[in-house]
Amino acid sequence: MFIAGIMDKLIDDEMLVAQFQSGRQNAFDELMKRYKAKIFSYLLRSVRNYEDAEDITIEVFFKAYRALDNWQPKAKFSTWLYKIASNLAIDYHRTKGRHPVYALEDLEIPEANLVATDLHSDPVHQVEEQERGRIIREAVDQLSPKQKAVFMLSRYEGLQLKEVAETLDMAEGTVKIHLHRAVKRLQTLLRPLWENNEI
Amino acid sequence: MPKCIKSEGQAIDYASKLLSPEEEDPFKEHLKNCPDCTEAVQSFRTVLQLTDKAQAELRVPELALQDIEMNVYKRLAAAHEQTLLSRVRAYLVNFGSLFRWQRTAAASTIAVALITIALLWGELFSPEPEMLLPDTQSAVARIEQYRQQHIQRNLEEAFITHHLRNDAWETESRLHRMKEHAHGTNWTKVADDHLQNLHSGH
Repeated sequence: MFIAGIMDKLIDDEMLVAQFQSGRQNAFDELMKRYKAKIFSYLLRSVRNYEDAEDITIEVFFKAYRALDNWQPKAKFSTWLYKIASNLAIDYHRTKGRHPVYALEDLEIPEANLVATDLHSDPVHQVEEQERGRIIREAVDQLSPKQKAVFMLSRYEGLQLKEVAETLDMAEGTVKIHLHRAVKRLQTLLRPLWENNEI
Repeated sequence: MPKCIKSEGQAIDYASKLLSPEEEDPFKEHLKNCPDCTEAVQSFRTVLQLTDKAQAELRVPELALQDIEMNVYKRLAAAHEQTLLSRVRAYLVNFGSLFRWQRTAAASTIAVALITIALLWGELFSPEPEMLLPDTQSAVARIEQYRQQHIQRNLEEAFITHHLRNDAWETESRLHRMKEHAHGTNWTKVADDHLQNLHSGH
């Protein structure tokens, strides 16, 4: 069991999928272990709501489990997983757009719970830092859904532009255009703030 | 001063480290003599540094990740149950409509209905449930496995926080978490005993 655990860590994702397809259940557990933090973080950045990000993460792996039997290695497993997550995040935003349930305050991340606190740190500085982070994240939220998805996937999930294109079903050139527009838009939003020392 | 004719896209790609070596070297050379592009690159770098820092603050705590696997298997088990239920429901609906049709026909078709029922019965309980059952059992077994792991982990963490860190609040929260996972087993008594000791200061 211990040896199998070590072996699992050395095996690549696609091999684990093949093992799962041939009936080895533990292979799926290893895939979840590898990707749960990444998918959760990606969704947390996208939906900006802790509980919803957790629910959608569970849904991503649920869908992956059900579809994995017929999965063909045309793209990397991770790209496919991000594709499921992106689609679910888009559905989420659509539903929330049509039926706005929360006020803006409710969508705030409970940052005190998320950021490790240090007994020696300066609370005033910490609050200022949290505020600065909040303003910047709100600027990112103002990007269009496609700009935001491209920016997140390429910048924070370590996906190559080709993989972002596969994940979002776009041409690579289109991905670049969205990325350029995203950075330009963020510059327009944030520049006045940093020039006035507000962030 | 006229703006540089180089595209802003190249400055963004350079700041984002997305240029290929063949594109990067000539652009670096260009930057030496172009204040417009140098300023643009600096500005885009600031944007990326600020957003990187703000996004890095959104960390998911380890504790929140603990239950993901178990909840995925719970979701799978629930979906299987639903599938079985909906199959039974569909079967009953089909049976009902079949029966209505027979009522309008002659009594002799009852025999046909009985044969049809026998066939449908065979259909319902033969190949597919065999495919579903191992998965359901597997999901249930996984849930149990993760539950046991959570109980053990929370108990170990409770000992560590109590004896090494002397953190009563965290110890209590770990024991409550353990109790939650241990619901319906003897482990709840273990958790209760430790909670009692904790409250009495032992």
